[in-house]
Amino acid sequence: MREMIVSELTQAFQELARGFAHFLPRLMVMLIIAFLGWVIASLLKFILRSILRLAKFDKLSENAGASQLLNQAALPSSTELLSRFVFWVAWLGFILLGVSVLGIVGLQEHVSKFFLFLPRLFVSLFIFFFGLLAASFFSRAALLAAVNANLPAPRLLSISIRTIIIIFVLSMVFEELGLAEQTMLLAFGIVFGAMMLALSIAFGVGGRDLARQFLERRLARRKKEEREDELSPL
Amino acid sequence: MAEESVLTDDFLRQLINVGEVDILVGLPTYNNARTVGPVIEAIRAGIVKSFPRERAVIIDADGGSQDGTPDLVTGASINDVRHASNLYALRTLHSISTQYSDTPASGTALRTILAAAELLRARACAVISPDSTTIEPEWIPRLLRPISHEDFDLVTPVYRRHKFEGLLMRNLLYPMTRAIYGRRLREPYASEFGFSGRLGSQFLGQDVWRHEASRTGTEISLTIAAITGGYRLCQSFLGPKIHTDRSSSDLVPAMRQTVGTLFWSLEATFPAWSTSADLQTVPTHGCEYEVTQEPVRVNRKRLYEMFCSGVGELAPVFSSILSAGTLAELQRMASLSEGDFRYPAELWVRTVYEFAASYHKSVISRDHIIQAMAPLYRGRMFTFLGENRDASAEEIENSVEMLCHEFERLKPYLLEIWNGRE
Amino acid sequence: MSLTQDALWHKDAVIYQVHVRTFSDSNGDGVGDFQGLAQRLDYLQELGINAIWLMPFFPSPLRDDGYDISDYESVHPAYGTLEDFKKFLAGAHERGIRVIIEMVLNHTSDQHPWFQESRSSQNNPRRDWYVWSETDTRYRGTRIIFVDTEMSNWAWDPISKSYYWHRFFSHQPDLNYDNPAVREQMWNVMKFWLEIGVDAFRLDAVPYLVEREGTSCENLPETHAILKELRRKVDQEFPGRMLLAEANQWPADLRPYFGDGDEFHMAFHFPLMPRMFMGLKLEDRKPITEIMQQTPEIPASCQWCLFLRNHDELTLEMVTDMERDYMYDVYAGSKSMRLNLGIRRRLAPLLDNDRRRIELMNGMLMSLPGTPIIYYGDEIGMGDNIYLGDRNGVRTPMQWSGGWNGGFSSADPESLYSPLLLNPVYGYQAVNVLSQKRTEHSLLSWMQRIIRVRRSTRVFGAGSIEFLYPANHRVLAYVRQLGNETVLVVNNVSSSAQAVELDLRRYKGNILIEMFGRNIFPRVGDLPYLLTMGPYQFYWFRLRRI
Repeated sequence: MREMIVSELTQAFQELARGFAHFLPRLMVMLIIAFLGWVIASLLKFILRSILRLAKFDKLSENAGASQLLNQAALPSSTELLSRFVFWVAWLGFILLGVSVLGIVGLQEHVSKFFLFLPRLFVSLFIFFFGLLAASFFSRAALLAAVNANLPAPRLLSISIRTIIIIFVLSMVFEELGLAEQTMLLAFGIVFGAMMLALSIAFGVGGRDLARQFLERRLARRKKEEREDELSPL
Repeated sequence: MAEESVLTDDFLRQLINVGEVDILVGLPTYNNARTVGPVIEAIRAGIVKSFPRERAVIIDADGGSQDGTPDLVTGASINDVRHASNLYALRTLHSISTQYSDTPASGTALRTILAAAELLRARACAVISPDSTTIEPEWIPRLLRPISHEDFDLVTPVYRRHKFEGLLMRNLLYPMTRAIYGRRLREPYASEFGFSGRLGSQFLGQDVWRHEASRTGTEISLTIAAITGGYRLCQSFLGPKIHTDRSSSDLVPAMRQTVGTLFWSLEATFPAWSTSADLQTVPTHGCEYEVTQEPVRVNRKRLYEMFCSGVGELAPVFSSILSAGTLAELQRMASLSEGDFRYPAELWVRTVYEFAASYHKSVISRDHIIQAMAPLYRGRMFTFLGENRDASAEEIENSVEMLCHEFERLKPYLLEIWNGRE
Repeated sequence: MSLTQDALWHKDAVIYQVHVRTFSDSNGDGVGDFQGLAQRLDYLQELGINAIWLMPFFPSPLRDDGYDISDYESVHPAYGTLEDFKKFLAGAHERGIRVIIEMVLNHTSDQHPWFQESRSSQNNPRRDWYVWSETDTRYRGTRIIFVDTEMSNWAWDPISKSYYWHRFFSHQPDLNYDNPAVREQMWNVMKFWLEIGVDAFRLDAVPYLVEREGTSCENLPETHAILKELRRKVDQEFPGRMLLAEANQWPADLRPYFGDGDEFHMAFHFPLMPRMFMGLKLEDRKPITEIMQQTPEIPASCQWCLFLRNHDELTLEMVTDMERDYMYDVYAGSKSMRLNLGIRRRLAPLLDNDRRRIELMNGMLMSLPGTPIIYYGDEIGMGDNIYLGDRNGVRTPMQWSGGWNGGFSSADPESLYSPLLLNPVYGYQAVNVLSQKRTEHSLLSWMQRIIRVRRSTRVFGAGSIEFLYPANHRVLAYVRQLGNETVLVVNNVSSSAQAVELDLRRYKGNILIEMFGRNIFPRVGDLPYLLTMGPYQFYWFRLRRI
């Protein structure tokens, strides 16, 4: 009996030791991978930062108004932001790779899911970022064009354009992420439809005068030209 | 990277046939069939009368006309195959045409003309606008003779204009280039001008062409290149100039071409203008300044309204371009009634300089900066028209001169905000 | 070798223009003569020419270079005797060289016995051989030709107390062609020389024979009738002899002188020559092609006479004011080079002694439609002496060698009719026949070659011409064609190398054979035929389908 216990214990201990001996190298490997991952991620960050600086990415995002956005959110410059993001994603990936080496059951599955998810996350972040830039750029362009063309309510136009683009971007992001696709589609449809309805009602009710003016101006154009001499700026 | 050639093979073949010339007249066209006929007639008469012995060529850089403009130009050749009109010429006069692209771009047109001028080793070149219906044959010698006979490098025109025409020129381009670069050039952005072969070659060799801004408004870059490169400039009085088909809706493109290019040029030439700027007069052939006075009806009210709505609506845009003080001042003005509204010269100059600095720093899209300027310019125009409604030629000239002084006085302010954050 | 029987010999001729006085002096009196000329015929045969045009050699007071004749049926004693002339003529004919002499129909010298008789009294039978008038107001619409020297076309004769008509100098009274006796007498004069064996006449000043009130007294139908009558007589009695008209007129105005092939055989193309010089200086073919376009068609048996330079000034009467100013500025910078409405210079000095330009101009002369005339001395590139008065600067003695008097005469240099050229560039020691004969590369050798090539085919003399108008205006290109023979001529009139594309699709499949070196050029295809040409270069290509 005692022998049996001892032998069992020994066996268990041996197994534990064996298991531990089995596990230890994996742990080492994991740590090594994590360290290597850090090195590679840092390198990636460095390279990306250099490339973006060279490509004057800051200026680009500044032109598009993204820097303003970032400033307001008290975030670092867009170059810095992007390179940091890449660093973390890369390193996280390596750590998870290391973890999977540990061979912990269940974890494996989650890790592989994470890896499958990673590109999607990346793309959707990308879409989101540039979507915001585009929204701000185009809304401002519309604002300026409307002001210079002397259209009524330029601010409204600009905000509508921004909203539409952001909604569109968000729906794209969610679709990319595969989250609540149906819900999002529905929501988008509802919001868009509502906006169109609102616009048409607004135009119908509030725009009667406007439409009249518009038509008048169109028809009276010839007369106006006779009445008014245009001045050439140059 | 191999540079893309601006010359098509067909154009090159035509240039081979033209050969070396003394005089080149360029014509940037785009659907100008309505007006180009008399213009080319005048050019040809000018060449044959004033430069009968010189080898000359007329080159049409066309932006993809659909109305047969190039045919009208090439039909003006004088040679032994086709006997042209009543003009007698000693020499063959080639009038050739090339299409540089499907979309018109004055910069590319000018580049084509410059490239042709360099290949043909033209000593004196002129560019004539195809819609200058008031052109006389005399314009050709007036633009070219200072170059061929007096060794000038750039001849800019002086026109007889209506006193309210060319307001952007008088309120911004002329005073600002004068203040920045120290030359009294009445028309820094001209649709007619003459230049020497060496200036043309030097300008062609610059790297402005790689930049997007080179697609339009290159004429002003040429002027600035001539000033900063130390070339000899003069002005020549041409006569009346009437713009056809320019309505106020063209203001933004016009500003892009002129103000945009001027602001853009400030960057590369910073070392030149930041250090020195002694004001130099430019020799002028013919009278220096002439205006006509026929009454015009202008919708000033609309200018005022567009200014007010612009200031109101564009506040968020202005806040990133203008200093807080200037913006506040503009907003205060926008709240005034039409009768009390006045856009003083000093504030206008400050506005322009702040825009220039913001353009340099690219606080937002540069094109948006230029667009945002249009409503403010309208406000300034409103004031200018109001102040000079009954002004005589001298009075107008005086008020322009005052504005110039204002631009000159505030130049240090531009230098101050050029690099620092306001 | 002797003369062939060919009624169209004038179309294939290459004419050498010479004044007997200037060519060679055999008796050492300082003036050239017929014996001397006869001795030099071998040289002319070697040069390759097949006709000589002699300037007037008749007895004359020589107040207008012999165009003021005082005896039509004799030879000026300074040049020898009629016998000498006949010997020279026979020598020329032996060598296959035809002889063209001057015939001044319009007027005589005032020293001519006919005029002396005519002025002697109002009733003299020869009175109406000349045009007399009581007043100087008739024929008011007539221009004065020698504006520099003459005030009127009428001159007062103190002997017979009336005015006589003269279109040229006042010492050259015009004959009255309304008088049948005059016409008969002049035909007798011509017959005299034709019977001796002269092959052709250059008829001087033909537009002015007849006067009519209310006209310009030029190119009148009556004049043409007289000329036609002369031609008829020549053809009838002396077939194969030729008449050449001197009439400085626009080509369209000259056209009537060819009639329907029943008046003159040949006429000078005056307006072409200044335009060739102009095109060369402008580096533009336009002046040449334009004047050729304005040149009317002439009857098949007729021919234009082309020349680069002659004994007169380079006349600028047939150009516009703008062109004349240009020509003066570029070719006669010094006022002393100008005379009347022209430039009194020789070919080589006009072209800055530039061998390439001299060759190009001769190349065009030999290949444009017409019979070329070479002025004596131009084949060796002789210069001129602008310090001699009038047109004597281009009439200095022929330079045969570097020896005594340039080989022209054994007389004392001071006794020559005109000083020789002495300067180091054009002087007889630098430019002479003897030294040029010694090298293959001399201008003389080159001239011999081009004349040989020209005479190797009849296409240049008799062929049709079609201009090609390549887009490069500095290249003058034309196709000469006769029967199945086709020659393409391409001239670069500019001082720089040129690329030119010729539209030769009509000749697709032909091979081009360069006529001087007989080298083969690529076959003509569908694409424009690309040629590159050096400065002032020209090509003559024979087109052959093989």
